[in-house]
Amino acid sequence: MTKPTLSRRGFLASTAAIGAATMTTGWPTQGRAEMGKVLRVRIDGDNNVLDPGFMVGGSEVEAQKQCLPFLAEYVQEGDTFTWQPTHYVTKLEQSEPTRIDFELVEGLKWSNGYGTLKASDVKFSYERMKDSDWAGYFDAMDHVEVTGDLTGTIVLNKPFAPFFMVTLCHGPGAIVCEQAVKDAGGKFTIDFPAVCGPYTYNATPGQRVVFELNPEWTGPEPGYERVEAHVITEVKASELAFDAGEMDCTELSPDTLARYAENMPEDADITTAGELQYLWMGLNTEHPKLQDVKVRKAIQHAVDVDSILQGAYSGTSTKSNGIICPGLLGQRQQTNYSYDPAKAKALLDEAGVSGLELTIRTLNQQERMLTAQIIQANLAAVGITVKVLPVDSGPFWEMGMESKGDNWQELELWLMRFATTPDPYEATQWFVSEQVGIWNWERWTDEEFDRLYEEGIAEPDTAKREEIYLRMQEIMDETGAYVWINHEPESYLHRADIEINTAPSGELNYRRFKPA
Amino acid sequence: MLFYLVKRLGLSALVIVLVVLVLFSLLYLIPGDPATIALGPRATPEAIARYAAKMHLDEPVWRQFLIYIGNAVTGDLGVDVFSDRNVTAVVASRIGFTLALICASMGWAVLLGLPLGCLAAVRPNSWLDRITGVLSVGTIAVPSFLVSIWALLIFAVELRWLPAIGAGEPGDTMDQLSHLVLPAFAVGLSWVGYLARMVRASMLEVMAEPYIRSAKAFGLRPRKIVYGYALRVAILPTITLIGMGFGGLISAAVFAEIIFARPGIGKLIYDAVMARNFPVVQGAVLVATAMYIGIVLLSDLLIAWLDPRVRESL
Repeated sequence: MTKPTLSRRGFLASTAAIGAATMTTGWPTQGRAEMGKVLRVRIDGDNNVLDPGFMVGGSEVEAQKQCLPFLAEYVQEGDTFTWQPTHYVTKLEQSEPTRIDFELVEGLKWSNGYGTLKASDVKFSYERMKDSDWAGYFDAMDHVEVTGDLTGTIVLNKPFAPFFMVTLCHGPGAIVCEQAVKDAGGKFTIDFPAVCGPYTYNATPGQRVVFELNPEWTGPEPGYERVEAHVITEVKASELAFDAGEMDCTELSPDTLARYAENMPEDADITTAGELQYLWMGLNTEHPKLQDVKVRKAIQHAVDVDSILQGAYSGTSTKSNGIICPGLLGQRQQTNYSYDPAKAKALLDEAGVSGLELTIRTLNQQERMLTAQIIQANLAAVGITVKVLPVDSGPFWEMGMESKGDNWQELELWLMRFATTPDPYEATQWFVSEQVGIWNWERWTDEEFDRLYEEGIAEPDTAKREEIYLRMQEIMDETGAYVWINHEPESYLHRADIEINTAPSGELNYRRFKPA
Repeated sequence: MLFYLVKRLGLSALVIVLVVLVLFSLLYLIPGDPATIALGPRATPEAIARYAAKMHLDEPVWRQFLIYIGNAVTGDLGVDVFSDRNVTAVVASRIGFTLALICASMGWAVLLGLPLGCLAAVRPNSWLDRITGVLSVGTIAVPSFLVSIWALLIFAVELRWLPAIGAGEPGDTMDQLSHLVLPAFAVGLSWVGYLARMVRASMLEVMAEPYIRSAKAFGLRPRKIVYGYALRVAILPTITLIGMGFGGLISAAVFAEIIFARPGIGKLIYDAVMARNFPVVQGAVLVATAMYIGIVLLSDLLIAWLDPRVRESL
């Protein structure tokens, strides 16, 4: 028997031979995922927590919508978003201001042998949310009454008009299988303990999630047999993959959106999901330099928002007139102020202010920095010197919070963007008096605003709610503490032969995608 | 040799401890509360408290450090903040992709760079030497992320010869190899130039040695002299360079993995940094560092094994 040995010569020779063999091995240029029944989309990271109670959001909500039951779902009517019952229910109606009755479809099965979907699953799912990271979405819910195997009533502790749009249609409204979750230890992370939807879920961390037809699903069939959601962190990489024919649908960055809008690729189309983000420049009304409302209003008149939309956002976003986003009840058509440098100078003269020096703080992000620089130039034109201070996200999100130190006292101007859900209530909640020093960094209070906030939540009449939210935004303008900038769209580039479906906040719902 | 091995292992362990210390300090050097930074601005106080307890943030800093070191020594790199997955398992699931990319990149760079360097050295100042020189400097000067983007645009988007994203279908070796070609090309290109220049310089030095002159005087064939005698000696500094180059390739792999959406330890670190997932950042950087130190150590041992002069001097 020969004993294997490795000499120095042998090592060098075999290394070269192995390398050469590797280089000469053939590889296929074809054979990648076939088009047709496979839908290839992008997710921007791994789904780490699929449990609705402890999720981060984003693509985790997308996965829940494929694999878990919901009572209601978003629907777009013209330019407005509203809701409709899902195919999981035969009835979903508000019998009284604080009672929502539901009846589930019979015979919808949970996977892994967990039986059928029951009203007790709804009770378990929603009542556990009150002790979850998303408990705020269930503040208005008291409990769920189970009146039969398939029927029940969601009981609210006060009339809460946004409950359907904000809670039932969104990720926190997902229903989980009571027994499966209990068997999993009360919480789950990277896999569903049981699914009840058109697709099963199979994730390969760092690579992709594959949704395949659920053999136990008896509800309406989805448009595609298989959905491959590839983990692509950078949106630009995903855009290139679309150009290479390896993606069917991808999110677009603002600059690429402008490029594609001018020169649309062959057989491609763009769909805008929603514009549920609002960017503004905030002014600290308590700062000694900004205590005079005339100075604040001068700044409102000095900023040319149109040039920001062109210069920083390539004309791809919608001009903002307040905190209520396009498509929502209460969206304003105009602000109480307009770009007027002469008026800005006159207001500064009236206030007796000259040589004013301010600092604007912003997240260190391309569009935000450009916005700050345009504001810097605009304010310089009326005699205000502005220093732009980019801030990392850690300190940025704490700088107006009283609980995190005294930095809030130094705040003068800042660029802030909030995302919201498709109901005006969500956006208004951050500006009430009790939010001063928490999220109301502008630090103003107004009794009428606080009263209208409560009225807006309880008011079921749509027209009256609209009036309430329009007035609330007028009050915000009058404080002089805001320069509204834009609502960034969530836009998707997709093959023209695909009809895509998105939530207003941008989450894709693959089960409602269709071949066009 | 044994003493040398023990000494190098001891130094490597010290470097790793220092790296752990730096990684651990980073958590506290970043402005803001670690729990708020990790969970985002709107995290509930309950979630922040849970996170703080899970990360031992409620303990004194020195104790946190000792806990981390103690766990790391036993292979426990902590728990992913969001998914509760074991960081060791997460890193283990990605490291193979990065190793494959690095080996393929260095593999083709060696296969092309070594012969180019030899040819240039055998005929110094010839047209071949000049072309090799220009190409070498050119490939060294172009950063790998730029090569990645251009390679992707040309071979995936325009020509559609090769896939643009991912690591290929699990279980399909040929598909996985096809997904490796563009990233390996992009990451390895600059090393072709490095190696060619390095081998050329070493070869020129060796070719001027008296024993090579003697070999020529004895009438040995030029091929035998170059590949049989000169290259064996000239390759030694190149092996050190290759060892250190693996460390550089880990950095270059970060860009390639992001641009080509490949799973790997670089992309894992990038994603974890973006998500402020500190345990994963710490664990993955620690493993990448250990990998680098291990490869450099291996290359040093390899030199000692290949070169009797080095071995005898230990």
